[in-house]
Amino acid sequence: MSYEAFLDGDPVIVTAALTGGVHGKEANPNIPETPGEIGRSAGEVEAAGASVVHLHARRPNGERSFDTERFQAIDDAVRRHTDDVVIQHSTGGTGAPDADRHLPLRTDPPPEMASLDMGPLNRYAHLTSENTRALVDSLHAEMVDRGIKPELEVFNDGHRNEIYGLLERRDLADPVYATLIFGPGTLTRPRPEHFLTAIADLPDGVTFNTLGFGRHQLPFATMGILFGGHVRVGLEDNVYYDRGELAESNAQLVERVVRVADELGRPVATTDETREILGL
Amino acid sequence: MVCPHLAYRKTNGDRSFAEARAFCTVVDEFVQPMRADICNDRFALDHAAHCEIYRGHEEGEE
Repeated sequence: MSYEAFLDGDPVIVTAALTGGVHGKEANPNIPETPGEIGRSAGEVEAAGASVVHLHARRPNGERSFDTERFQAIDDAVRRHTDDVVIQHSTGGTGAPDADRHLPLRTDPPPEMASLDMGPLNRYAHLTSENTRALVDSLHAEMVDRGIKPELEVFNDGHRNEIYGLLERRDLADPVYATLIFGPGTLTRPRPEHFLTAIADLPDGVTFNTLGFGRHQLPFATMGILFGGHVRVGLEDNVYYDRGELAESNAQLVERVVRVADELGRPVATTDETREILGL
Repeated sequence: MVCPHLAYRKTNGDRSFAEARAFCTVVDEFVQPMRADICNDRFALDHAAHCEIYRGHEEGEE
């Protein structure tokens, strides 16, 4: 993937990360938390142009849940409110037991995609999300068994090494799909030169998705569009629409990046095109 | 043991929620859901080890 893909006008996949698990309504009251709210939000982002929804599960009070039953309730709600959107579950979970990290893979039917965090990252001052290689391998094995496409989450430059290592350890179906993440803390520093290095340093044939946290969401999505990648936006990663202005909805963020893609001449991928591009 | 500074509230000032949410009485704010797992010592999380707010408050009390 490259600038050539932009020049060729290849379709761009828009993923909407609807809810997350780190922050909730205390950060932005418009973040959907219940299955019904998440389902309605999924319908809105699909109408706005998103073809993939990235989902976390929560308890009724917004706190994190890894239970298969909570994911099932969310999936059921999403399917009620959408036509054909691709469902992608998170398997992330700072501090959660490794066994619980597998639970989001066990809905019926399984999600078409699931995230696979490629390594450790710091949280707060005294906590690290470990994401050991053993966990990565065991999650990938279950994804293969269940026919789930992994979305490799690359939080920093070292995690690109982890992709190379994973490719040596395990067989990954083509195309390998990796989300490059930029932001504060343990993440790759959000600067254009690091984005260019990251996309140039990916293993051959890797299809990339672009994710900037907070105020970096729009500029990095734009760079992803320009350099032939795909994009992820949504309230999980960014609660603001503009400086000091909370986003009204996930759809508002999707609508904006769809406008950018349209202005730049890359059509937004339909759900059928997304499945074809990702080999789902 | 749950953090002694954890409360569950539906309201604080002009903020209100349908369900009671985790509230830190040290900083007088609702906390993030992920931090609430630390407050509740869920999984292998431990507020005394993992929460800088608790640790800082304890050090200030000494």
